[in-house]
Amino acid sequence: MEWIEKEEVVRINEVDEWGMAWYGHYMAWFEAGRISLLRRFDLLPRQMVDLGYIAPVINLKCDFKHPAVCGDWIIIRTTLIKPEIAALTFKFEILLKENRALLARGETTQVLLTTSRKMIYRLSGELEKRISNLVNYCAQK
Amino acid sequence: MEEIVNNSEVLCEFLKKMIIDTLKLEDITVEEIESRTPLFRKGLGLDSIDALELVVAIEKIFDVIIEDEEVGKRAFASIKALAKFIRKKYKQRK
Repeated sequence: MEWIEKEEVVRINEVDEWGMAWYGHYMAWFEAGRISLLRRFDLLPRQMVDLGYIAPVINLKCDFKHPAVCGDWIIIRTTLIKPEIAALTFKFEILLKENRALLARGETTQVLLTTSRKMIYRLSGELEKRISNLVNYCAQK
Repeated sequence: MEEIVNNSEVLCEFLKKMIIDTLKLEDITVEEIESRTPLFRKGLGLDSIDALELVVAIEKIFDVIIEDEEVGKRAFASIKALAKFIRKKYKQRK
């Protein structure tokens, strides 16, 4: 499985009163990771809209293993699980850059709707082509 | 498969089992599903992700395609509606 990696630093506005990265902020890091993966395959949200689709998140999981603190450099790793159904499930890992220790692990699932809010059950056309490129990239060994 | 599709009652029973197996429903049996019960929300309580999984199973088993929610709404109205939909589409296959 191929992952793409993106580096971020933990900023002061991202930590809680104990100086640890606020748990909700991990979702923003997942989003940043997903965007950097989607960008490579012309599947950014606005590009999806141009094709006539939106992809709302319907499921989110996150396991917190170790806290990041302000000033830490982190690595956001993102990949896509090969889909069996017309939905996109991304996997994420947040690592501490200095020793690649696992800080958190998560997963999100998005369904695909037309811009008129009609859920699609099968991929077709240009959307299928771009998603298939993304799937093939992530499935590489 | 043709024999199953052509017999309405057999097809309904087959579909009930398919739904239970595909969605790994543990707290319901074939006998408990009524052919007229809606599959979603207040009926069997299935959701949109369940629909996506059923669509894949139906395509694999019957080679019948349900493209989107609009078609799905009619097809998944009940077991009976699904059986009728599959029978019609099965016969129209190339």
